[in-house]
Amino acid sequence: MKNLVVFIPLIPLLAASYIGVLHLFSVLDGEKSERITARMANYAIGLSCLLALALLGTDLFSQNNDVLIVGEWLNVNDLSIQLRFFTHGFSLKLAALFSILLFIVTRFAVNYMHREAGFHRFFFVLSLFSAAMLMLVLSANTVGTFIGWEIAGLCSYLLIGYMYDRQTATQNATRVFITNRIGDAGFVAGIGLGYLWLGNTNWLEMGELANPLSNQQAELCAFCFALAAFVKSAQLPFTPWLARAMEGPTPSSAIFYGSVMIHAGVYLLFLIQPLLAHAPLVSMLIAIVGLFTAIYATVVGLTQTDIKSSLIFATSGQLGLLFLECGLGFWELAIWHLCAHATVRAYQLLTAPSLLVNVANNPIKPVNAYLAKNTRFYTYALQRFWLEPLTDLIIVKPIQNLASDLNYFDRHILDNLMGSPAPAIRAISSLAQAKEQQIGAHLNNNENSFAQGSGFAGKITQWTADILDWFESRFILRGVSKDAIDYGKRLGRICQSCELMLLKPRYLALFVFITLLVAF
Amino acid sequence: MNVATFPMLSLILFFPFVGVLAIAVINSVEIAKKIALMTAIIELIATLIVTFSFDAEVAGFSQVERYRWIPNLNAEFLLGVDGISVLFLPASALLTLITILASWNNVNHLSRLHFALLLILESVTLGVFTALDMLLFFLFWEATLPPIFFLIGLWGIGAQRREAALKYTLFMLFGGVPLLFAIIVLATNHATQTGELSFSFLQLLQTPMADNLQLIVFLLLVLGFAVKAPLAPFHTWLPTVAMQAPTQISALLMGLKLGAFGLLRFAFPLAPHAAAHHAWIVALLGAVTLVYAALIALKQTNLRELLAYLSISHVGLVVLGIASLNEQSLQGVIFQLLNFSLIASGLMLLAGFMQQRFGSTELIHLGGLAKVMPKMTAFFFLFSLASIGMPLTSGFPAEILLIIGVMKNHLGLGIAALCGAILGAAALLTFIRGSFLGAIIYENLKQTSDLRPREWLVLGVPILLVIIFGLFPQIILDTTKHAAQFWLSRLIF
Repeated sequence: MKNLVVFIPLIPLLAASYIGVLHLFSVLDGEKSERITARMANYAIGLSCLLALALLGTDLFSQNNDVLIVGEWLNVNDLSIQLRFFTHGFSLKLAALFSILLFIVTRFAVNYMHREAGFHRFFFVLSLFSAAMLMLVLSANTVGTFIGWEIAGLCSYLLIGYMYDRQTATQNATRVFITNRIGDAGFVAGIGLGYLWLGNTNWLEMGELANPLSNQQAELCAFCFALAAFVKSAQLPFTPWLARAMEGPTPSSAIFYGSVMIHAGVYLLFLIQPLLAHAPLVSMLIAIVGLFTAIYATVVGLTQTDIKSSLIFATSGQLGLLFLECGLGFWELAIWHLCAHATVRAYQLLTAPSLLVNVANNPIKPVNAYLAKNTRFYTYALQRFWLEPLTDLIIVKPIQNLASDLNYFDRHILDNLMGSPAPAIRAISSLAQAKEQQIGAHLNNNENSFAQGSGFAGKITQWTADILDWFESRFILRGVSKDAIDYGKRLGRICQSCELMLLKPRYLALFVFITLLVAF
Repeated sequence: MNVATFPMLSLILFFPFVGVLAIAVINSVEIAKKIALMTAIIELIATLIVTFSFDAEVAGFSQVERYRWIPNLNAEFLLGVDGISVLFLPASALLTLITILASWNNVNHLSRLHFALLLILESVTLGVFTALDMLLFFLFWEATLPPIFFLIGLWGIGAQRREAALKYTLFMLFGGVPLLFAIIVLATNHATQTGELSFSFLQLLQTPMADNLQLIVFLLLVLGFAVKAPLAPFHTWLPTVAMQAPTQISALLMGLKLGAFGLLRFAFPLAPHAAAHHAWIVALLGAVTLVYAALIALKQTNLRELLAYLSISHVGLVVLGIASLNEQSLQGVIFQLLNFSLIASGLMLLAGFMQQRFGSTELIHLGGLAKVMPKMTAFFFLFSLASIGMPLTSGFPAEILLIIGVMKNHLGLGIAALCGAILGAAALLTFIRGSFLGAIIYENLKQTSDLRPREWLVLGVPILLVIIFGLFPQIILDTTKHAAQFWLSRLIF
């Protein structure tokens, strides 16, 4: 029975590749084939959902083992990355909940997306996302979780940029994806450190082995994973990406940022729970960041004027609270909170488009009294505390400037230093030159040197060649007789004047001074 | 036919010349193209036979062929493959085949010469991968220059193609000098130790060498291969070549990282003591290159230059991996080098298809291509994802092995590698946003055609391989495992 766990992420993945490949080659295209795509996506996620529920049932009645080891994905020396799945406990419960939510949203989207230009693309991404998310939740190996984590981030990019001909959509998508890459880097660093210090890449073993870890090591390893969690769950200072992500179609907002993907960060904290037990500083950091995010998101949320923004800041606030709970160690509370929040928020975001109709005759709610009084504070909140311009100023701008400087250096300094040869055979650009070549005349005498080069190396080569050429023609070819004596005399005169000059007391004093400077 | 005793490697090396001869004799462009294609296909099959008959359990060289070559110098015509090099044979053969198909209709003058040169280049490149005699290796190494010189100079797409060809050749000749010097030092050292000259890689591996001499050899080899790889500050030829050369040649140059292969094959094993103690120089060079090129890539507005800098950045990571000296990083290195032949070249070929359609790969001339060219966009996006190491593509296992291996060696450098990965992704995605997404501004872009069947079939093979190797990385890792372990065991710490 528990072997079926493999199929929970696999079925939506197969559906996604089916839709994706056929759509790419225009087999599934336009309104006619909407039914096939929609059915495919729905059946796939529905089947996964049933499997997850069945598995959960067997888990409740008869205790399943903790994990199912399917096989080895990658094995190099002592680094072994296994394909293994949780078949027991919180992960399975969360998988069941998420698959139900995913199924509901997929079904909802069939009508919502009807006759949209990117109907097939939407369902391709949604199916891929379902697979990724279920992989993330069910994998009992860090790398497996990371695979789901990355693919889910990719799907988020694809759906924020769903309206890819709109400037803001693509801008937001790119920005969100790159912000998420920071968290991904943290995740990879965490996997690496876990392997280096614990010699393992499985979540359960990592937890068991965490005991002999020195405090610093545990802190650092936990911090890397916590960084990934902060980014994915839009905690401070990464909160602004979440508001940007609202650009996508509503069903995707509901499933990605309202209920499922946004909780991946909290879920990651559950996975590193044993590690956090050895890392009090990181736990404290998680609690503080959560607390500040909750305050920040609530204040900013109070000033939002459109429904999706205010909902998303409310989500952010709840996630802050979840992080606070995890940081303080109230894991049981956090589990209930997470499940309840995911369900409620999915409903709220799905109904957001029709909310305006539902509340059409209600009176407009006034701004919070405190904020209304303190206009300056109100402005701060409205501007979201300038968090995004601030990160631009502190991180993005300096990197861009550095990149510009380096680009200049590379093009104008390094390239010249390394040298690039000038054309060996100059092209004939005018009729006069062609004629000139025909009659064998050389009117422009400044180009009679054979070797030409640019750049440091090139010039040095050219000069050396010129000097040798000059030497050879003057001294060897014309004979030592005339020129050599002339030049020798001239050289002698120059040397004599140099010596006379050097013997003057002020230059002598200067030389002594320089020598002393160098010596001491 | 018994593959193990049949001189398969010589056949692979000389067969392209049969094709060249046929092309020279037959005075028809259409037939010449078909001959080139057939030759490339047969080459691919032959290299695949070698690969599949290769026994991965053997750590040493197999398929060894030995003939007299220059008796006075004791230089032999010595060929062989091991787990490190065997996979590069089908990779180069496949890349040449793809290149021939990609330039099927867009070489209009001197077409026969073009295809003949491609076949010659294939032969000498395979020679670089299989030569086990240092002089023979050097011969093949330098013999890659003339075909590339003419391919860039005659069919380049930039106005300064001749200068670019000259620049490339001069840089490579400069890199060749320290290599030759190192080879001579190695041979004379063998002579002082045993009484006779030897250029055989297999013998030189066994020759004891004084520590200071090892250091000299190591540094010379590193310098020589760093130019070809390329590592900063010797990388300036690659952006120039990417801008001026025909895109299929840029794809070949970026796909086949001969410099990194040279470091892996010769520089470290031939000076094991020096390598073990001075690997940090190479690691530092790699890390600087990785971050430096990724930062510069952020500022590129032309796709071909962007790809060149990203490729340099990736080479930085690979070199950092070689210098990390552990099994994970080493397996990651070989994996990543094979990936390049699929991914970097795929992206460059797509840039070529864009160049053919719009006459430019400059960001300001593009925009909104996704609407009119969905297939092109999908392929470009897939290759980009593989390039930034997205799971389900082969970039992911290679990158994770590399990063874990580098972290094992030095934590700080591992973090630098991660930062480079973020910057690289930012550069590529920003370009995608500007060129493929957004609204179409220019009229001429609206009338363009999507990838034709020939074009997407050419790129479909690498995409499929990228996904297969991404899902089942062990296919490659099993082949390279024993060779990598043997490589490491030779280093003396």
